[in-house]
Amino acid sequence: MKPLAIVAALLTSLASPTTAQDRNWALLPLTMPVVPEVEGAATEIDAFVQAELSAAGIASSPMAERAALIRRLSYDLTGLPPTHEEVQAFVSDKDANAYAKLVTRLLESERYGEHWARHWLDIANYADTHGNDHDYARPNAWPYRDYVIQSLNDDKPYTRFVQEQVAGDALFPEDPQATVALGFLAAGPWDHTLMVTVREDTVDHRSAQNLDRDLMVATVMGTFQSLTVHCARCHDHKFDPITQREYYSLQAVFAGVDRADRPFDEDARTQTERTRLLGEKRALQQLDAAILSSPEVVEKVAVWEETLRKREESWVPFEIATVVSIGGATLTRQDDGSWFASGTRPKADTYIVTAHRPAGAIGAIRLEVLPDERLPQSGPGRWDNGNFHLSEFRVFAAPPGTAESAKPLVIARATADHNESATISAAQAIDGDDKSHWGVNPRYGEAHKAIFELKDLAEFPDRTTFTLMLEHQDGVEGHGIGRFRLSASDSVSASSPVFAPIPDKVTTILQVPVGQRTPAQQQALAQAVLLLENEQALAALPAPRLVYAVTRDFPPDGPNFSPAPEPRPIHLLERGELSKPGELVGPGTLACIPELPDALTIAEAGDESQRRAALAHWLTDPRNVLTWRSIVNRVWSYHFGRGLCDTPNDFGKMGGMPSHPELLDWLAIWFRDEAHGSLKALHRLIVSSETWKQSTLTAHGAIIDSDNRLLWRQNRTRLTGEQVRDTMLTLSNHLDLTMGGPSVVQFISRGDATFMPGGNPAFLDYEHFDPDSPAARRRAIYRFLFRTVPDPLMDTLDCPDGGAITSVRNVSTTPLQTFAMLNDAFLIRQCEHIAMRIATAADSPEKQIDAAFQLILLRDAREHERTKFVDYARHHGLANACQLLVNSNEFLHLD
Amino acid sequence: MQHTASNRREFLGHLGSGLGGIALASLVQRESSGAIPPPFAPKARRVIQLFMNGGASQCDLFDYKPQLIAQHGQKFDPGAGVRVEASISTPGALMKSPFEWAQHGQCGRWVSSALPHLAKHVDDMAFLMAMQSVSNVHGPASYLQTSGFLPPGFPSAGAWISYALGSLSDNVPAFVALPDAKGMPYNGRSAFTSGFLPANHQGTVINASAPQPITHLRPPASATHITPVSRTDGLKLLSEMNTAHAGQRPGDSRLQARIESYELAARFQLAAPELLDLTGETTATKNLYGIDEPQTADFGKRCLMARRMIERGVRFVQVWSGQGGGSDNWDNHGHIANELSTAAIRMDQPAAALLTDLKARGLLDDTLLVWTTEFGRMPFSQGGTGRDHNGGTFVSWFAGAGVKPGSAYGQSDEWSWKAAEDITTSYDFHATILHLLGIDHEKLTVRHGGIDRRLTDVSGNVVKSILA
Repeated sequence: MKPLAIVAALLTSLASPTTAQDRNWALLPLTMPVVPEVEGAATEIDAFVQAELSAAGIASSPMAERAALIRRLSYDLTGLPPTHEEVQAFVSDKDANAYAKLVTRLLESERYGEHWARHWLDIANYADTHGNDHDYARPNAWPYRDYVIQSLNDDKPYTRFVQEQVAGDALFPEDPQATVALGFLAAGPWDHTLMVTVREDTVDHRSAQNLDRDLMVATVMGTFQSLTVHCARCHDHKFDPITQREYYSLQAVFAGVDRADRPFDEDARTQTERTRLLGEKRALQQLDAAILSSPEVVEKVAVWEETLRKREESWVPFEIATVVSIGGATLTRQDDGSWFASGTRPKADTYIVTAHRPAGAIGAIRLEVLPDERLPQSGPGRWDNGNFHLSEFRVFAAPPGTAESAKPLVIARATADHNESATISAAQAIDGDDKSHWGVNPRYGEAHKAIFELKDLAEFPDRTTFTLMLEHQDGVEGHGIGRFRLSASDSVSASSPVFAPIPDKVTTILQVPVGQRTPAQQQALAQAVLLLENEQALAALPAPRLVYAVTRDFPPDGPNFSPAPEPRPIHLLERGELSKPGELVGPGTLACIPELPDALTIAEAGDESQRRAALAHWLTDPRNVLTWRSIVNRVWSYHFGRGLCDTPNDFGKMGGMPSHPELLDWLAIWFRDEAHGSLKALHRLIVSSETWKQSTLTAHGAIIDSDNRLLWRQNRTRLTGEQVRDTMLTLSNHLDLTMGGPSVVQFISRGDATFMPGGNPAFLDYEHFDPDSPAARRRAIYRFLFRTVPDPLMDTLDCPDGGAITSVRNVSTTPLQTFAMLNDAFLIRQCEHIAMRIATAADSPEKQIDAAFQLILLRDAREHERTKFVDYARHHGLANACQLLVNSNEFLHLD
Repeated sequence: MQHTASNRREFLGHLGSGLGGIALASLVQRESSGAIPPPFAPKARRVIQLFMNGGASQCDLFDYKPQLIAQHGQKFDPGAGVRVEASISTPGALMKSPFEWAQHGQCGRWVSSALPHLAKHVDDMAFLMAMQSVSNVHGPASYLQTSGFLPPGFPSAGAWISYALGSLSDNVPAFVALPDAKGMPYNGRSAFTSGFLPANHQGTVINASAPQPITHLRPPASATHITPVSRTDGLKLLSEMNTAHAGQRPGDSRLQARIESYELAARFQLAAPELLDLTGETTATKNLYGIDEPQTADFGKRCLMARRMIERGVRFVQVWSGQGGGSDNWDNHGHIANELSTAAIRMDQPAAALLTDLKARGLLDDTLLVWTTEFGRMPFSQGGTGRDHNGGTFVSWFAGAGVKPGSAYGQSDEWSWKAAEDITTSYDFHATILHLLGIDHEKLTVRHGGIDRRLTDVSGNVVKSILA
């Protein structure tokens, strides 16, 4: 930079009147500014910009040439280039409305939502894994990504878009997609180890919960308010009017939820019914004694108990002839009909049980695993800690007196009274996968049972030979079952109503004769019965889909991660330290917005979703000046490569000052009141301005405003990683425009990594992934984003890795990026395809080079370029020539 | 305007029509340019960090506690009603180390028999005997020790150092990470991230044993149409084209920076093979590092590469011992005697060889060698023979440039359960490294998300006791 320019820039910054008052600009009331009278200004945007420019004595730049304009517009709205034909047509289009028509066509393209969703996911910090040390997959994150794409394509009003992502479940229970929207609050990283593996009673675990809420608060307030509220975690905000108490009141808004897979129904009626049942379930958990002792409930319990008694009596033990351990353990029959394992404790084992039973039907088989003092920790497993791993449970039946071989009985469902976790449950014993298993950690020394319901209730004649196989083949040493018993029932089956295994404490009560039960026992039993009934009704609904979102209803994952029955108490933490809890803080928000109260109106404070609903209303209140300033600035920043305020997530005193505060306010009010929150209307307004359409090629304003803060020209931007990738597929004619669905994996994994809890560490290999596989051909928005091991090509092109919220992407120029552009297998292969495409269409070397320039740079080759490229292609082939064009600054930047 | 490094950078960054994204370090900060004198004379010009992934057990390696031996097998009761918690297990009985203890060197430092080679070098080392983490969990604790923050998203120390000082040469990156052949550490590549700093400051990952050690350094073998000549001719043509393009677009320094990045990449591509090629090293050197022995080959090779890298201008090399996941690292939950000795054998001889070699070549005078881990382990057992995580106390050591040889700072309690005196936090640890490099840790800041972020957050004191 020339010294003169530096001095001039300094003068400019000195000349602008920045007072202490101004640093508070974002919290000033929103009042409609007077649009400056500027002759010839096409839009209000231009009037504001040109007024500032004339005050500074800088002329604006002429409009960009049409070829540059259509390329810029196409990338800006859809993330994809126009074709050479489209460029030609636009350049020669005489229609006065040609540009407006182009804008309409691009905004109506579904490609628009795919492109702008990526901007939104940057702020939400979305990825398909949890992040952190083990970085497991989040297979149900993607419905939220599709929700964002669809919402943008539908031009959902911004108010509704915000409300759905904060409290869609509470505010729009009839709309399943409003529940999917809650993926926003869960999109960021989450520490599986801290939340699931680490004991709940440790400081580490509680600290993780604190940081989990902190991330939700930071995401919501950064995204919708452009505030750095999280700076007030340890003390009142040093620069902005945010107290520590307010910060914790925002934490209290999210104190009832965790991040987990949340069911939703594509069918709205099912969704309504599920919502009702889940509400009933919560109510049941807090039922009062009067209701539980009412005659109707007492009657209901009596009927239930009678049904249960009949069912319990229907369990008839198998007459076991032999039990063989293929691992060499010794199995002996016990007096109670159970079998006990001793002797050798093999690395892997399978117990093969041969049994008979009298003629009759079988609907389900029950496996009881029993404690025994002779086992480590009293069992029921043989391992040191008392555990076992049942990797698979299989049953075969052979008709009597025939040579026919045994046929497998199909098990439809497996449930247990206790599972180690959601992924170490009885269901894993029938999933056909040896590596997964059922276990009962940490509840050792007690009896447990699993019930295997057959797909079809079937009759078996007398002397049928049953073979039952209890497999411990998951590769974990010595985890056989220590003592077990097997029975079958004719009245329990998959087609009968689900009878979840009865919880232990209920069993204990049931053993007390009816007349001798205490009122507390009667009530506990009544509550359990009503809950079981509720559970059955829920299970009978069509299987829901899942979205990774925030929720207060999810199956506990092991002993440490379970839902909060009611919002967790939030204390103000002195210096942010868990060891120094101060006063209890209820849900609330900030007091610094003019005219807007800091108290949240919450219908029912115990219902956590009402807390979020209240915050959603507060965020979208027309009086919330931050909401409207924030979104118009954010949208502007993506259109110009820089916001009017260049820190879109920080409007506080440490953030940037807006270059055009009146324009920002005008846009905010226009967007709220005239456009009614239509983002497409805002895009159209901006890209139709002369300011946006200016050329990037001028330099006249650099002396006074080297930084182009006054917008005397358009900014030149570099293509993003996603744009580079999608463009290459477009040019090679390999782009698959299928929308939505599970994220496409664009790497191969070494070894047997499952990416799921309990699996082996992930070895991701991007280098050897086949660039021609179908998964490689989808748009970049659908990539499976692995937080801790990002795609190296996309990484060098500054795609966020999901580590932190990215409101402004870096635009870096590095040797590693250069290596990637030159040597990445995907890019090279696409260049080969482009060369093939060109070679088939054009026969002479000159025509081929012409075609390459038209396809890649959207222009004709100049004479000297043609000569040199023809010569180069002759020596090194067309694919190499195409790759040079892809590496050119002209290709990678938008004029 | 005061011309400190960060001020000038901020000045350029805020002014620059697009200067923000380029390798600023190389523009303003390379030593050869002499543009910015550091605030005080650096003792170290470069750093090699050996990172024991998984939580190396201080009470089985360096932290000798007679009380622990005396109370072996007893239930652990620290007294005063203090609660004992372990992160994933139920606390077992106190467990003495299965290794023998002896004093070594002039300084008489205790080292266990698990580290016979390093034990010979205690007179060159300065020990931080009471380091403390705020987490007992690999992910956050590793982030804390690599980036100074518990959550992801923050630049690692190597990235900060790259940002502040750049590389010592035009041909190599400033920050190189050498992960274990078995796999990436906990937190994957985020352990070497540049976070919110420009991407050129992220650690260049070199997988020493992979067929292609540096991603994208060469085209895939299948791309037979790409030859050295096609590249040379092509880059010339590209440069002409880009130069003409930039000529029509005055005042955009990013375009020029991209043209230069192709030249920088070409130089690195030429330098890389030499950087990694150990054939020129003598047999004696290779034997010293244990490259001929299967158990020490991987870490030995990478330690030797680290030496070659700092000789050629890399500023910060991080050599990892152990992978993420449940085995082949220092996360010895199951059986200290078996698992820890395996990890120790792999590391001990090569690390000692690196010290010997650096010293012999005079490199230790201006190179800082740092040995660390994310946390320690419990003095009581897990399942009878292993140990659970312990953020309460752990040991790191420094050696080389600016370090007081044979010194030690801090001590843990009588069982090696919690740091007790002269505690060193990760902030102090990083502040000390930066100090030795001539950087004031409070001045090296970057504005992000409304806060002036530092490697040391809002804390950090230079540990003067271990400085020469």
